[in-house]
Amino acid sequence: MAGRAVAITTVSYVDDEPSAFASMLGGLIEANVEGRPEKKKDFDALQARVGIWVTDIDEGVTLDFQRGSLTVHNGLQPKRDLTIRAEADTVMNLSNLRIGAFGMPVYYNEVGRAVALKLVQGKLRIDGLLGNLATLNTVTRIFSVR
Amino acid sequence: MAVSAFSDEWATQFKDEVNKSSAYRAAAKGWKWTVGLVIEAEPDKNVPESIGIVMDLFEGDARDIHVGSAAEAQQCNFVITAPYSRWKEVATKKLDATKGMLQGRLKLKGDLPTIVRYTKASQELTEATTRVAVEWPDER
Repeated sequence: MAGRAVAITTVSYVDDEPSAFASMLGGLIEANVEGRPEKKKDFDALQARVGIWVTDIDEGVTLDFQRGSLTVHNGLQPKRDLTIRAEADTVMNLSNLRIGAFGMPVYYNEVGRAVALKLVQGKLRIDGLLGNLATLNTVTRIFSVR
Repeated sequence: MAVSAFSDEWATQFKDEVNKSSAYRAAAKGWKWTVGLVIEAEPDKNVPESIGIVMDLFEGDARDIHVGSAAEAQQCNFVITAPYSRWKEVATKKLDATKGMLQGRLKLKGDLPTIVRYTKASQELTEATTRVAVEWPDER
């Protein structure tokens, strides 16, 4: 096997037929983690159950991060640490947040301001934020393509 | 004057609209991949065979957009596939392309982080299609 590249599968799906959204998020995170060592480090450290619900298509997923592996469920499953509820455009914007100093998401550029505005308008809701701010920042870093 | 959807004339006008869009040019800075759109056949809608749209997009510029076969479009770096009537929904703003992709109503093939990074550019491309006056085959 010497010299042969080995694919590392870090993402698995619970459902026999993962939804398009589940496949997209799982695929996005897998590509991010496999292509970026700094995201792999976050991925390997993260233990959290995160729900994402897209309000304008009525679809969601639960991402179960277990220190180096991710299990993706269709829909919102119980016992989530964090749940993000937003419209499709905002979910895409979340994955376009730049990561700045100290690994903090940047909220002062165009994309960041749009995300912050949705938060203020109540169109981006994050349940479970209290006590889980560091988890949210880690998830954002893993999720971000920037 | 309206042109027939997904015809050579449509491709020329679509290319012109893309190149006129300063919003697309700004959002697509750094983009250097080909994009194929596969319009799947719907014989009952007067689209007897699948059609391919092949787009050579580079740094905010549409260098070439032409109509080809579905097989040619499938060779592109990024491929978006949907039945004819769904593309019509996108072009007439009845279906948002981002939502369509998240719902699996538009099937995407290609590097996901790249396509997510250029979400705004893809939205501007969609906007450009809506500015081309079109005669739809199922309305003839």
